[in-house]
Amino acid sequence: MSFEPKIVGFLCNWCSYTGADLAGTSRIQYPPNIRVIRVMCSARIEPDFVLRALASGADGVLICGCHPGDCHYSEGNYKAMRRYPLLKRMLKDYGVDNDRVRLEWVSASEGQRFADIVTDMTERVRALGPLRIKTDLQTDMVER
Amino acid sequence: MEELKIGVFICNCGSNIAHHVDVDAVREAVEAMPGIAIARSYKYMCSNPGQEMIARDIREHQLNRVVVAACSPRMHEKTFRNACRNGGLNPYLCEMANIREQCSWVHSDQLAATEKAKALTNAAINRVRYHEPLESLTAEMCPATLVIGGGIAGLTAALELADAAHQVYLVERTATLGGNLARVDLTAPHLDSARDLLTERITRVRANSRITLMLNSELQSLAGYVGNYAAIIRTKNGSGEVQERKVDVGNVVVATGYQEFDAGRITHYGHGKLPNVVTSFEFEQMLRKGRIETRHGKLPQYAAIIHCVGSRNKEFHPYCSRVCCMTALKYAHELKSANPACYVSDIYVDMHAFGKGHEDFYKTTSEVKTLFLMFEKNERPVVRKAGPNDDCEMLIEVNETLSRERIEIPADLIILMVGMEARADSGEVARLVNISQDQEGWFMESHPKLDPVATTTDGIYIAGTCAAPKDIPDTVAQARAAAARILGKIAKGKIEIDGVFAEVNEDRCSGCRMCNELCPYSAIEFNDQTRRSHVIPAACKACGACVAACPSGAIKGRHFTVEQLHAQIDGVLA
Repeated sequence: MSFEPKIVGFLCNWCSYTGADLAGTSRIQYPPNIRVIRVMCSARIEPDFVLRALASGADGVLICGCHPGDCHYSEGNYKAMRRYPLLKRMLKDYGVDNDRVRLEWVSASEGQRFADIVTDMTERVRALGPLRIKTDLQTDMVER
Repeated sequence: MEELKIGVFICNCGSNIAHHVDVDAVREAVEAMPGIAIARSYKYMCSNPGQEMIARDIREHQLNRVVVAACSPRMHEKTFRNACRNGGLNPYLCEMANIREQCSWVHSDQLAATEKAKALTNAAINRVRYHEPLESLTAEMCPATLVIGGGIAGLTAALELADAAHQVYLVERTATLGGNLARVDLTAPHLDSARDLLTERITRVRANSRITLMLNSELQSLAGYVGNYAAIIRTKNGSGEVQERKVDVGNVVVATGYQEFDAGRITHYGHGKLPNVVTSFEFEQMLRKGRIETRHGKLPQYAAIIHCVGSRNKEFHPYCSRVCCMTALKYAHELKSANPACYVSDIYVDMHAFGKGHEDFYKTTSEVKTLFLMFEKNERPVVRKAGPNDDCEMLIEVNETLSRERIEIPADLIILMVGMEARADSGEVARLVNISQDQEGWFMESHPKLDPVATTTDGIYIAGTCAAPKDIPDTVAQARAAAARILGKIAKGKIEIDGVFAEVNEDRCSGCRMCNELCPYSAIEFNDQTRRSHVIPAACKACGACVAACPSGAIKGRHFTVEQLHAQIDGVLA
């Protein structure tokens, strides 16, 4: 059987989660590999959540928020945007491939875009194979 | 910790879920899990019998947690929270798994969809274990309202509120009331005078002791939250001095209107260069003076009206400005009334006669022998100065769509139907009152269909053309609707504040104040005595930015706690 990656999605309630719901109401099909967790704002997503997901068996993590300038809380997505490069730098040290963790902007009207991103990401992560991280991430996370 | 008794309710949603998800397999997978007291599937969980089943099971099985695997929480979270309340359970002890919008509707592989539904339900069960009962808070509602903008929308909203015996602060930037409507002569389609419509409102506003009229004034800042806003208003007096005044209000109506499209941006219409090319507002001035004439003081023999100037066009604005078609017909009517011998050409893209009485108006005005010429919206007519041998001032070349001919028509006077656009400073207003704008700069409604006057910020309402192009009836309706929403809240007297907000554990707070700056609502205050920060629940919108940022982990995001989210992460991956 071919490898089916597990991808955890963290979506903000106002834009991206609504966009993902719209993909549903529009019956736009995408791979079932993503499991979505709703937060009110992308600014709530702690880098820790991403690490926990990767340590608990996710092969990829997708973070989605409102487009810059469109945040329901005016600037939460900028906060998410600022945290992201730091997280990526850390993930690189742990040997996590760049394509496994993504930050994307999806508005409430972009059901198709959400489906396209999930499709693309699933393909990329599937090509990368299962995530094998240096054991210290696992230990780091368990200790927390 | 009390023993957990979790009830899991899995919805078939007719065949919406059950067609792609094996609902019974999901039920079987969860019912053996620790802490599950009961797991059921049902045809329509949101129906009355479905909700009653949840409430009954809560009572009969002493459930202390409920998971509903059904549609999106954005659809029915309130419904199921209510069902829990009816069963005697705190509504926040309920969690939903979205197995419809984000599962059965998007995955046609039944096996994979069922596995995903199991994972999502499992995550919800994991999460709900960490849920805590939350209570909503109440705060006083200040009965005064701030209305920004003294056009027809602002005047109407102010009167509606003041007539119900509440204090209104009406802030207008210019020295006069009436807004854009004050620049109009007669209104379409009934041809009643704009001045009459306005004078009645303005007189009543000026006479009403409950309306504090602040002309030459602007909103400087707005702090606080619904029910308790503090607004600083800057007023310039006659000698140019600036005074500031603070007013306390519970709600705000934003009625800042629109600005007209700058016709000079479409160079081949010649506005600003050819003296007899005028905008619709310049033509209104002529009408108000009662003299339609060219710049040389002559009665125009040939008049032409060009539609959609800046509207319905990919280069400028893609949307329709809604009022121009009827106004153009009004002009044709007035040109003909002033001089029955005048040849009037109406050069249009599509004739939009959507409103009440509009189609009749189109019929009657088109009978006055107006020449209608249609053009493709992205293939505009070209205006040029006529030669010395022509008996007219200008010539217009149109690629006429219906005849498929290139037609040249004479004109002594050309009226450009300029569209509406968001005011250049609408971004500043949006930031001041913390509301969103769409791509065109219009203020955004909370819901375009079901909540068209509220915004995503509690207590801030929008009315009139600041939200999108509108005619007078729609503007007035929206202004009254905004006032009605506010009156409803004032009548309640108190506001309910959702139990979901952030709270600081002051024992862990290091007093670094990082969260103070992060909060977009200034909801976190620093106590100088204790050197600790604390959250004002009523001002907090629960975005969680501070929770994620606190270096001491001292802030708890209620209902989105670290424990709850970690449990959910583990749950989707199990």
